[in-house]
Amino acid sequence: METFLSEKHRTIQRSVRTFCQREIQPIAKEIDQEASFPWEVVGKMGKLGYFGIQVPQALGGAGLDTVGYVIVIEEISRACAGLGLCVTVHNSVAVYPLLAFGSDEQKQKWVPPLAKGEKIGAFCLTEPNVGSDAAGIEASAIRTDNHYLVNANKVFVTNGGVADVCLVFARTDANTGGKGVSVIIVERGTPGFVVGDLEDLCGVRANPVSSIRLYDCEIPLDNLLGKEGMGLRIGLEALDIGRIGIAAQAVGISQAALEEAVRYSRQRYQFGVPISKHQAIRMMVADMATKVDAARLMVYRSAVLRDQGRSFSKASAMAKLFASETSSEVTDLAVQIHGGYGFSKSYPVERYYRDARVTRIYEGTSEVHRMVIAKKVLGD
Amino acid sequence: MGIHIIVCIKSIITNGLYERVVCSSDSRELNPYDRPVLEVALRIKEKRSGTITAISMGPESCASALNEAMAMGVDRSVLLCDPALAGADTLATSNALAAAIRKLAPFDLVLFGARAADSDTGQVGPQTAVLLDLPLVTGAHSVELKDDGLIVERSADGFLDCFEVFFPAGLSIHSGANRPRDVGLLGIEVGFEERKVKHWNLADLDIPANHVGEGGSATQVLALSRVESAGKCEFLSGSAVEQVEALINRLSTSGIK
Repeated sequence: METFLSEKHRTIQRSVRTFCQREIQPIAKEIDQEASFPWEVVGKMGKLGYFGIQVPQALGGAGLDTVGYVIVIEEISRACAGLGLCVTVHNSVAVYPLLAFGSDEQKQKWVPPLAKGEKIGAFCLTEPNVGSDAAGIEASAIRTDNHYLVNANKVFVTNGGVADVCLVFARTDANTGGKGVSVIIVERGTPGFVVGDLEDLCGVRANPVSSIRLYDCEIPLDNLLGKEGMGLRIGLEALDIGRIGIAAQAVGISQAALEEAVRYSRQRYQFGVPISKHQAIRMMVADMATKVDAARLMVYRSAVLRDQGRSFSKASAMAKLFASETSSEVTDLAVQIHGGYGFSKSYPVERYYRDARVTRIYEGTSEVHRMVIAKKVLGD
Repeated sequence: MGIHIIVCIKSIITNGLYERVVCSSDSRELNPYDRPVLEVALRIKEKRSGTITAISMGPESCASALNEAMAMGVDRSVLLCDPALAGADTLATSNALAAAIRKLAPFDLVLFGARAADSDTGQVGPQTAVLLDLPLVTGAHSVELKDDGLIVERSADGFLDCFEVFFPAGLSIHSGANRPRDVGLLGIEVGFEERKVKHWNLADLDIPANHVGEGGSATQVLALSRVESAGKCEFLSGSAVEQVEALINRLSTSGIK
């Protein structure tokens, strides 16, 4: 189908798919059920460059374009949405801000080990009282003569249980609303850095999503990313790219569900024929395939626009909205096609159904994306 | 100057057995049986510095197989690409490859896959080695590097053969010789963006036109058709014991002991 992809991109797709089929798919059910993080496979992914997809080669990355990036995320998510989430969040909202806003010293210090997967990154924005309205951040970073004193309670931190380098959004100015928010780079192991219990989630369970709490952490002034007060700008720019990755993750989950539905419908006999011969099933499969294809094309368009240096904010918001809503619809239909078996953990569509749900919530809910899109369309 | 290894690889046609294929890069990929061959070359190079050159013959759509070889770690590659080379059988292909390998001399080792996943002749390696007067071990399972040659093992018919070969030499590598490495993203970026596939046409090869392509072929394919399997499914009836006895009886009368 993807005949417009270049030879390079097709090779990326084939090589990542081969790796995932051999290394991730066989353990995907187990790491979902046990909510465990597969360090051994993650180590191999690091050696193959999956943790530095778009990082320049001089900083230890692969230097791919955004189209290459979304292909990698789709393929990993097709095998395991939790690992796809780990890789996309690490690359887009943890590593990218360091590349875009970091000083040369910060890039040299933190990016190479992150790009090689030797360290894992996290983005700490969400708080118990702060979700879609990021300007209301309550975490504080009080500047003293030689450090920031950081206190924060961050929740639903993707990769939180394993992250070594965290971008923490905290208020450096108590009185200026969104303009008082800054990003401080905090390393695991800093005195006062506490990882909370892992969340017992409905889906993406291979990802160690946790809370991270900082109690009077003394962080060097050199760990300020960009300038004081730039936090929301850094966050929004990172999320522009992050949402392309989440859209690609949703496409990967949808693709996996579509493939399982097609396979099952060909082998399940009712009324003397495979159920794939029944018109009701055929209509479902046609709708699923069409929507997955449309979602993928929207993701590719966002990626191409970004690679061309053009504005991609509206396109990526639309791609994220459509791909995540599609993943809920497609995985729901995949369960329906499987009937009772689809409601059982014996078949992977049950996992896809659970994994798909959160794509409509994180990195901007569907509702926030509709707000963003409406504003751009209406120009108000 | 380190060791120079030349690896002959093929871009195979996918789905050729199932449908009429329009040859394009969409319908081609690197022969999976050539991946262990590239792995052997890369492991030798890791032990002794040098250069690996991959060569292939075919239309422009075959270049991506060479890019993929470079993504794995091959240093340079050459595609023999000329309309005069089209329609070649294994002999004409071997003539072209041998001419290219002579041009790439000096070399220490020429490696081939044991077979191709599409045509499956296994002839090109041996024929090319003969044309180059190279000693050849076929179906090698393991390769141990020595100062001026290799210790090569191959298993065949329940025996394990062990050979000592001296450079320059040729080997065809068994598809189960090793587990080829995964291709990393950096390798793909470098293999496709930075290292370019060199193209040689007939004039570059310094070989008479009637030795290559359809005119240089000793054989011609008259027809190609898919053989349908005649397998059929039969259910045995009766109790479980009766079914087992019937099955044993059926298997023993069919010659299975």
